Amino acid sequence: MLQLLKIEWLKIKKYPAFWWMLAIVALTYPGINYMFHSIYENIISRKDMAGNVAKFILGNPFAFPDAWHSVAYFSSFFVIVPALLIIMLVTNEYTYKTHRQNIIDGWSRNQFIHAKMMDVMIISIIVTVSYSVVAAVFGFYFSDAVHATRWAEELQYIVLFFLHTFAQLSWAFLLAFIFRKAFISLGVFVFYSIIIENIIKAYFRFKEWSSSEFLPLEISNRLLPMPNFLGKINAASNEAYKKALDNINWHILYTIIITSAIWWLCYFLNKKRDL
Amino acid sequence: MQPTLSLQNISKNYGSIQALNNVSFDVPMGSVFGILGPNGSGKTTLLSIILDILNAPTGSFTWFGKKSSAESRKKIGSLLETPNFYHYLSATDNLQITQAISGRGNAADIDAVLETVNLLQRKKSKFSTYSLGMKQRLAIAGALLGNPDVLVLDEPTNGLDPVGIAEIRNLIKQLSEQGKTIIMASHLLDEVEKVCTHVAILKKGNLLVAGNVNEVLINEDIVEVSAADITLLENILQEYPSKTFLKKEDNIIQLYFPVGTANLTDINEYCFQRGVIINMLLQKKKSLETKFLEITSATNN
Repeated sequence: MLQLLKIEWLKIKKYPAFWWMLAIVALTYPGINYMFHSIYENIISRKDMAGNVAKFILGNPFAFPDAWHSVAYFSSFFVIVPALLIIMLVTNEYTYKTHRQNIIDGWSRNQFIHAKMMDVMIISIIVTVSYSVVAAVFGFYFSDAVHATRWAEELQYIVLFFLHTFAQLSWAFLLAFIFRKAFISLGVFVFYSIIIENIIKAYFRFKEWSSSEFLPLEISNRLLPMPNFLGKINAASNEAYKKALDNINWHILYTIIITSAIWWLCYFLNKKRDL
Repeated sequence: MQPTLSLQNISKNYGSIQALNNVSFDVPMGSVFGILGPNGSGKTTLLSIILDILNAPTGSFTWFGKKSSAESRKKIGSLLETPNFYHYLSATDNLQITQAISGRGNAADIDAVLETVNLLQRKKSKFSTYSLGMKQRLAIAGALLGNPDVLVLDEPTNGLDPVGIAEIRNLIKQLSEQGKTIIMASHLLDEVEKVCTHVAILKKGNLLVAGNVNEVLINEDIVEVSAADITLLENILQEYPSKTFLKKEDNIIQLYFPVGTANLTDINEYCFQRGVIINMLLQKKKSLETKFLEITSATNN
């Protein structure tokens, strides 16, 4: 396993897109969270009652312990950045036909998928560490003395963020593995995640069906529910938020199931098909 | 002696196209084994199967007497179809990956093989900046890395200049002298004629013939004869005893003899005694190319 990791590192460490991804993550994660922090400031700075109520009910979503959740939610928008990197890393192998050379040189077909799964794992870890740093900095910066002591509550969001990233990058991997061409895979990934799934979700809502939670990306999106300061401040919205929090446990299970299925499919296809 | 590679009844089809049809042969240890065939005859498909890139729906093969595995591939230096390397990495970085996957060689060996293929000066340049010939050289370097006992080379001189072709040919000869087994696909017959000890000839996925190069491509003596009265000459030569075959082409008669048995003096005398004065008498060496065309076109009908 360590040997596979070493070989993947040889491939990645001099790949410019990898360093670009790190740079973009390093910029966008603090950026998007700062932006939503400003939105929150706007809400509570309103002089009317609603502003005061909001402040009272919600607390500061960027102070501990909520910072872990809020920063995870906003940072998760940018899963597309590491997803592009994953798609490039996989389709490069097909473009340069190095997926063949790796086998010729002595990897088994399974080892090729093991190695790629490690790439997805490592990049998920890197992204999760970036998120954790940003969340910690925001948390300590916006917490008063009382909230600062609550930093260790809700640390589960680090795990949820990792699971969310790993699941969505696995989906990106599957597309790249199936289509083999960078542009087609990127196109399908972006088009599906931004447009198709949202249309399906809207249609489900319109029809008042509930099962849109089982769409491939929605399954893991529900690991990180929208923080309630963005919703309407009323009882129904609060109720829905509580329900979403309660459903996280189920979505951990669903996410693990669909992600395992994706990887199983990749191993299966890679064994069967001609390279 | 255990053959290095043994194929049993390998078949492969791409949809309705039969790429390989029931191919079986053995590659003896220490041989330089040429796989010949026109374009599209199944050479690369065959090599891809033995390197586990393609699955063969029927048939089986063994390396070193055992079922093929990742472990057996590590012992084989291979170049398949095109040089496959990471474009954004240098020659050294690419060979480090080859080295790490196969376990063959070490850092010093990487420089040594780059030296062998004359790429040492450019070892730090990115693969994407290489010319076609340099890419091919790097692929050969990758195959040679760690001095494997078996090499599989698919069109090794592809894209090389005449000097490069001669260098590779010498390299193959040297490796063969060291006792390496080399399996080489090629449509360049000249190349094969100069280095191979064994050949297999494929056409449209069918194995036409396989074996020792001297048995498969046994060369005949050809004598070309001409005279003023070509019809009379043909008539009397039909009766000439030791020939195997007579062919008339325009104003020239070709006589075929088993290797080393043509006797020009005797032919001259034979004709003269029967009143025909020969105005041309010439012994020709049959090239592998003619033989190859003969073998591959004989099965057309």
